[in-house]
Parts: sequence; C-alpha cells; structure tokens
Amino acid sequence: MEFIDYYKLLELDRSATKADIKKAYRRLARKYHPDLNPNDKEAQMRFQQINEAHEVLSDPEKRKKYDEYGKDWQHAEQFEQAKRQQASSGGFDGSFGGGGQSYSYSGNFDDDTFSDFFEQMFGGRARAEGAHRGSHFKGQDYNAELQLKLSDVYKSQKHTLTVNGKNIRLTIPAGVEDGQTIKIKGHGGPGIQGGPKGDLYITFKILNDTAFRREKENLYSAEKIDLSTAVLGGEIEVRTFDGKVKLKVKPGTENGSKVKLKGKGFPRYKKEGQYGDLYITYEVKVPRNLSGKQKELFEELKNTGI
Amino acid sequence: MKNEDLIPADEICVRYKVEREFVFSLYESGIIDIVTIKETAYIPYDHLTAFEKMIRLHKELDINLEGLEAINHLLRQIQKLQDDNLRLRNRLGLYE
Repeated sequence: MEFIDYYKLLELDRSATKADIKKAYRRLARKYHPDLNPNDKEAQMRFQQINEAHEVLSDPEKRKKYDEYGKDWQHAEQFEQAKRQQASSGGFDGSFGGGGQSYSYSGNFDDDTFSDFFEQMFGGRARAEGAHRGSHFKGQDYNAELQLKLSDVYKSQKHTLTVNGKNIRLTIPAGVEDGQTIKIKGHGGPGIQGGPKGDLYITFKILNDTAFRREKENLYSAEKIDLSTAVLGGEIEVRTFDGKVKLKVKPGTENGSKVKLKGKGFPRYKKEGQYGDLYITYEVKVPRNLSGKQKELFEELKNTGI
Repeated sequence: MKNEDLIPADEICVRYKVEREFVFSLYESGIIDIVTIKETAYIPYDHLTAFEKMIRLHKELDINLEGLEAINHLLRQIQKLQDDNLRLRNRLGLYE
C-alpha cells in the first residue's frame, strides 16, 4: 500500500489554510464531479481521491495525525496503540506489537468509498463515517437500442444483447412496441462511493416485415374480393398473423367496408393469452378485360337497372 | 400516467430540504416536469434522477440555476453522443 499525498491531490502545499483546502476541493470537485462526467471512470476515481483528501485535510484531528506521521503512516496505528497502552498502564513498554501484521499493496480507489491507505490510517470507523458523509451516487444509466422484426415480437423470445462488452440475456415479452423502452435494473454503470448500480434502458425499434399495419395491439390489413362475392356474398380465405382463416362475406359488401376479427390481432404486452383485434378492409376488384360473354351479361344487368 | 408514478412536490421539498421555488425554477428551466392535479404539484417519478442530480450539483458545488441549466443542456448532448457511440459500436459488432 502506497502513501497518498493528499496535499498533492488537492494541488496544495502543506501550509494551506482551511480556506485554501475548501477552495481547492471545490475547484477540483467541479472538475471531476461524477454528475458532470458521465461514464468517465477516470474522473470518478479522481473525485473519490479528492473527496478522501478533503475528508482528511478538512478535519483538524485527521490532518494533524496525517501531518504528524506523514510517510511513516504505516506505524501510526502502532504508535497510537502504544500511546493508549501507556496511558492505561501508566508506562510505555516500547513494544509496537505489530510484528505479525502484513500489508498488501492496493493503491486503487475502486468502487468502494475510500482507499486502503485511508482505512489503514484512520481505521474502519473513520471509513464508515466518511462513507456516510460523502455522497452516494447511483451509477450511470446505459441506453441501448434493439432492432427487431414485427414478426419476431409476436411471441416472447430470448435475446442476448452486448452492452459495454457485457452479454446480457433477456426475455422480450410478446407485444413489445416500436419506440418502447424497458428498464433492466442494475445493469448500468457501477455505483460510486457505495451507491447502487445504474440501470440499462433498452429502446426497441420494430421494423415491419409484414403486410399488416399495427396500432398497439390491433392489426389492420386489406383483402381484395371479387365483385361477384361483394354483390352476392360468399366465403373467402384471409391472412391473419398466425395463419389463414375462412371468412364469410355478406351479400352487398361495399368497397372499403371493414370487418373485425376479434382476438386475431397482436398479443397484448405482458398479458399472456390476450390479443387485440384484426381489422380487415375489403377492396372490391372491378373486373377488367372482360370477355364478350361477360360484357353481354353486364349489359343485361345494366338493362335491369343495376 | 398512473398516480403512483407521481411524487408530490411538497414532499420532495421536505425530503431534499429545498425551497419550493427551487423546484419550480427547475421546471421553468425545462430540467424537470411538473404535473398539476387538483391544484397539487407533482414530479413524475422518472424525473427524480434528474432532480437529484441537480440538487447534488446545487448543494455540493454551489452551482446556481443558470449554471444548472447550462450543465443540463451539455449533459444531454453528452448523453446523446454516448448513446450514438454505443449504438454504432453495437452495430459494428454485428459485422466483426
């Protein structure tokens, strides 16, 4: 574990006054504050370092201890223990009692609150106090876009998405809409100073690869019918999203008239087994290139007043 | 919008120890939304993160309202650029 020069971190010399420390801290905090540097791990780490330096130097007791032991900080705790023993027993036996203690190097400021150096020098309690005094930041929220085909979202399906190098498996419920955003809690950036992880927001881009028009859970399509079927009625076969169905056409069906096929629309989002409706608009085909016979028959019809 | 997605502005003021005027100034600056139902002002839940961010910047860094407005604008631009970057990286990943 390395000694951390808090004065250097705050760009101050050792004679800095309380006002100088506050001013330096404010200046650097404005530069490296995590809210001003989204997704910048370097800035987040610097902010933690600055926070820690401020925590020590702005507290007269901590600063005194830090200044007193300086680079000999590793022995600070032993000195303190010896002092306490001396005070309680009335004598100082000269033993530091730290022979079996080992220190592992860790100069990193990770996602946790303060450095190992801080903990070693000021103890776990100071660390906990510091953690509560400092701000906890939720990690950065991530945003991603996922393109899917309309035919893909008719049924729920599993997808693997790569966000910032991490593979995230998710089940996309049937009926998800174009432009809809879902939140996946805790899959964003890491929290700062013990704060919770950010969230991942996925926005769906649904490309229509079908002949249907979709409005929420309802589907719309057009079906061509023969003139004779429109006039006399009959049975036709129409396309729905999950296959063809037979449909009776009423006699006298007009061009542009609509029928509703209940429950043949798109699945309702997160409502299993519930579907919207399918609206079919009839387009009556006007016959062209009539044969002689057909022309004659139409003439006859015309003469009857149709 | 469902009622449970709305937080009364007065409750927010108490919890975050801020003046009502400050909350409404954030609304006038376009940083947060305020919904009024039966003369009670509410903040939509999904605007709470933005609100908290502004409170932190205001309290911890002494940034005034004009500064918050400018920061909010620039952060949105950064967010958009980062989103574009992520989307392009994801798209590039399909061809690699």
